[in-house]
Amino acid sequence: MPDLLLELGLEELPASFVRSGLESLGTAAKELLAAHRLDCVSIETLGTPRRLTVFAHALPDAQPDREEVVAGPPWNVAFKDGAWTKAAEGFAKKNGVSMDALFERTNEDPKKPSTVAAKVFEKGRATADVLAELLPELCRRASFPKSMRWGAGDFAFGRPVQWLVALLDDVVLPFEFAGIASGRTTRGHRFLAPAAFEVPSAAAYEDALEGRHVIVRIERRRALMEQAIALAAGALGGTLVPDEFLLSECSMLVEKPFVVPGSFEPRFLELPEAVIVSVMRDHQRYFAVKGPDGKLLPRYLNVVGTANDPERIAKGNDRVLRARLADARFFVNEDRKQKLADRRPKLDAVTFQHKLGSIGAKVERIERIARHLATVQQLDASLVGRAAQLAKCDLESLIVFEFPELQGQMGRFYAEKDGEDSAVCLAIEEHWRPAGASAVPTQALGALLAVADRLDTLVGCFAIGQQPKGNADPFGLRRAALGVIRIALEGPIDVPIAEAVDTAIAALAHLDFDAAAVRREVLAFVSARLDAQFRGEYGADLVDAVLGAWNHGSLRDFRARLEALAGFRSAAEYEPLAVAFKRAFNIASQATGDVDASLLEAGAEKDLADAFAKARGDIDAHTAKGEYAAALARVATDLKAPIDRFFDDVFVMVDDERVRGNRLALLGQIAGTVSRIVHFHKLQPAEKS
Amino acid sequence: MHFQDLILTLERFWAEHGCVIGQPYNSEVGAGTFNPHTFLRAIGPEPWNVAYVEPSRRPTDGRYGENPNRLQQFHQYQVILKPSPLNIQELYLDSLRALGTDPTKHDVRFIEDDWESPTLGAWGLGWQVWLDGLEISQFTYFQQCGGIDCKPISGELTYGLERIAMYLQDVDDVYDLSYAEGIRYGDLFQRNEWEWSTYNFERADVELHKRLFDEYEAQVYRLLGLSTEKQKGNVLEWIEADPKKRLVLPAYDCVVKCSHYFNVLDARGAISVTERQRYIQRVRHIARGAAVAWYEQREALGFPLLKKVAEAAE
Repeated sequence: MPDLLLELGLEELPASFVRSGLESLGTAAKELLAAHRLDCVSIETLGTPRRLTVFAHALPDAQPDREEVVAGPPWNVAFKDGAWTKAAEGFAKKNGVSMDALFERTNEDPKKPSTVAAKVFEKGRATADVLAELLPELCRRASFPKSMRWGAGDFAFGRPVQWLVALLDDVVLPFEFAGIASGRTTRGHRFLAPAAFEVPSAAAYEDALEGRHVIVRIERRRALMEQAIALAAGALGGTLVPDEFLLSECSMLVEKPFVVPGSFEPRFLELPEAVIVSVMRDHQRYFAVKGPDGKLLPRYLNVVGTANDPERIAKGNDRVLRARLADARFFVNEDRKQKLADRRPKLDAVTFQHKLGSIGAKVERIERIARHLATVQQLDASLVGRAAQLAKCDLESLIVFEFPELQGQMGRFYAEKDGEDSAVCLAIEEHWRPAGASAVPTQALGALLAVADRLDTLVGCFAIGQQPKGNADPFGLRRAALGVIRIALEGPIDVPIAEAVDTAIAALAHLDFDAAAVRREVLAFVSARLDAQFRGEYGADLVDAVLGAWNHGSLRDFRARLEALAGFRSAAEYEPLAVAFKRAFNIASQATGDVDASLLEAGAEKDLADAFAKARGDIDAHTAKGEYAAALARVATDLKAPIDRFFDDVFVMVDDERVRGNRLALLGQIAGTVSRIVHFHKLQPAEKS
Repeated sequence: MHFQDLILTLERFWAEHGCVIGQPYNSEVGAGTFNPHTFLRAIGPEPWNVAYVEPSRRPTDGRYGENPNRLQQFHQYQVILKPSPLNIQELYLDSLRALGTDPTKHDVRFIEDDWESPTLGAWGLGWQVWLDGLEISQFTYFQQCGGIDCKPISGELTYGLERIAMYLQDVDDVYDLSYAEGIRYGDLFQRNEWEWSTYNFERADVELHKRLFDEYEAQVYRLLGLSTEKQKGNVLEWIEADPKKRLVLPAYDCVVKCSHYFNVLDARGAISVTERQRYIQRVRHIARGAAVAWYEQREALGFPLLKKVAEAAE
């Protein structure tokens, strides 16, 4: 059971290229091996910036032999007048079988004629031979975010290919790719073990490289790096500021991680910590270190690929960082020469989107929408104007131009220095949240701005025909809608979604667009996000049933209905009720008018009408107050038995038009009341078997 | 090692590795890439190896001579190896060794840094080279130049001379660099930085620069015999059909000037965001005209440098 080793030696790949290259190679290896009847126990991918490596473990020595029935031309074409035709001879020759091996095979599809057929035997080939043919294709299937050509060749790859190692255990698999012939010669660490050397066997590969300062297994390299930085942080008397991006990036930038600590002058600590961390991370890939008091230490940890002279390396890096921090301090000092609020007019000259106007115009709309949302929800609106006007001002600061990820944080910092209200300061920072999976705003003011900002983008883009198409979502509208949903469900304020969309539409009154259509589309878009968000947890039919009844009220109301229905689903009455209401809804869709009590027939029909008349007020009251669990409970206790009996005993579609109409009207009223809670008819209760 | 010794060492190193030692371009450029030694020679099938210093102007980077690291004019050392040899990284590292920098005693890394010049319609993939965290070089495999696919591919090495010199001389302020025996970098360039910063940010005549841009742009069309009518998809339409009659080099000179005037206008804050895009498109279009005209002219001449290689091989 030999192992396959394929190593592509490359010039330094970016981290994302290593990841996508390995992923595509792994997938391609699996597909190609399976397609060629070479089953292996497992496929592994390993890699560094300079090499992409694939292992296929425990391959067979050869492909299994194969015998299959091959169908040829129709029987009446192959065999005529008691003799084989030329067509039959050609078929036999092509498949390497003698004429007596041919037979008639009835077609699986009885409408089609039978054919001539033969059992064809294919001897499995030696794995090494198959692989030598397969490996160029495997290499070709490596995919990267971008490809490049080099030299005089026509090959395109993530980076130039320098060498190829291809072994089946200890045997070289000869092939050529990108003008390079495969062999067993690889290279160690670029600087610590530069000599080319031969890999004796697939099994010896990892250790051989490790002996030459290359840790080719990604998880192991990262673990060693994490250990080393934790140790180094401890030696500095601090702990690492956690940063998943840096951990994953740095482990991909070196073949073997060494950690070199460095330092900067404590005077730079007067800068906001976020600035220092960003300077170190974005420009230099340094880890920040916190002291026992939780404050940043004037130190950093640098993951490097070569560390024979750590002091010299630290000195060089210190110098670079000092210049970077001096730049940042220059930007912050320049920024502070002007009050944050004084930057507001500049936003009128910055384009948000050419049809939707400037960021300044957007700020005005945000204020208008946020004010309205505050008013309808009876929230304090006194600071909304100030917070909205200041929210985007830091976009015009030098430091945010240099470090875009500091937007909001710097606005808050400058607003605090300007003596703005602390709630306003916090709102400036929080209105950008959530960004991706991050936390939502903690306070109402920031949440109002965040919701207003996202709705303005959402409605604005739909109004100018820039809604997402397929996978393309250049304005991040899915994320914007999801942000609004998360703020309402996890954050400090609820969002009445139809109301909010209407306000956002009203704020765009100067644009020429079909407001009714945009309203419909945006609300449908929000519903689609709710569906995507909750169907996994609750089931598509439950979400559907709630969406229908919810009618784009508040987002928390949506969740309240969903939770009530989910709770009710475990009740014994759930399934029969769902079935009964579905039936009621379906036939009552033809109902018109009121119920005439005099036409009710004593027994099941009258009982149902009475039970409904008694419960209706309470059910409606519970529904109106958002007490959906209570409403559903009343439906179950009061209506289940009568409605079941009604359907058992009463024939609705009688000939008498008035009686029939009256029965439909009764069912229609019941369905109407229940449908205001959830749309039972959308539920798909499990079929009783 | 004085600043000038750094240049001399690189000149010698690359001359010994088969490069023509070129000279800086005699018009204002933002980078060595604008020199015809790179921009035009990277186009087409002819082999080409060249190395030269390029004083490069970045008007927006001016700091009036007050910032120890930022300059509106700095010096690049530019190397083009076409086609890029497979050992180009090793050659580069050898050049560092020639400068007395032993990579095993430092942390030298090749960090992803793709390059794109929107005005030149050029882009490539490659790295910035870090020496102990300091970006000392740009390393690019040209993929396109003037909108034309490069074939073969040129490898471009660009050394940031001031940064490397600061590292080698262990100084924190660029003006403290020793340029030659007894001459500081500041003696030569500090006043220069103040004057040009003042000019670029405050004094440059905006109307003059706008007019110069327009006129040099118009001249490109005339010299190339290129129609000014904009075709669909920016297709070039030639009025002068004979590639040998087009004045490619003077036209390219005008392209470079347009690019520079645009940079000055940008530093001067005289260009709005929407205008900016438009200016870039205008330069890109004439750069493309010059690039295509160059290719067609070399083709009409039978790609002379290719013939030389063929002759040498016989």
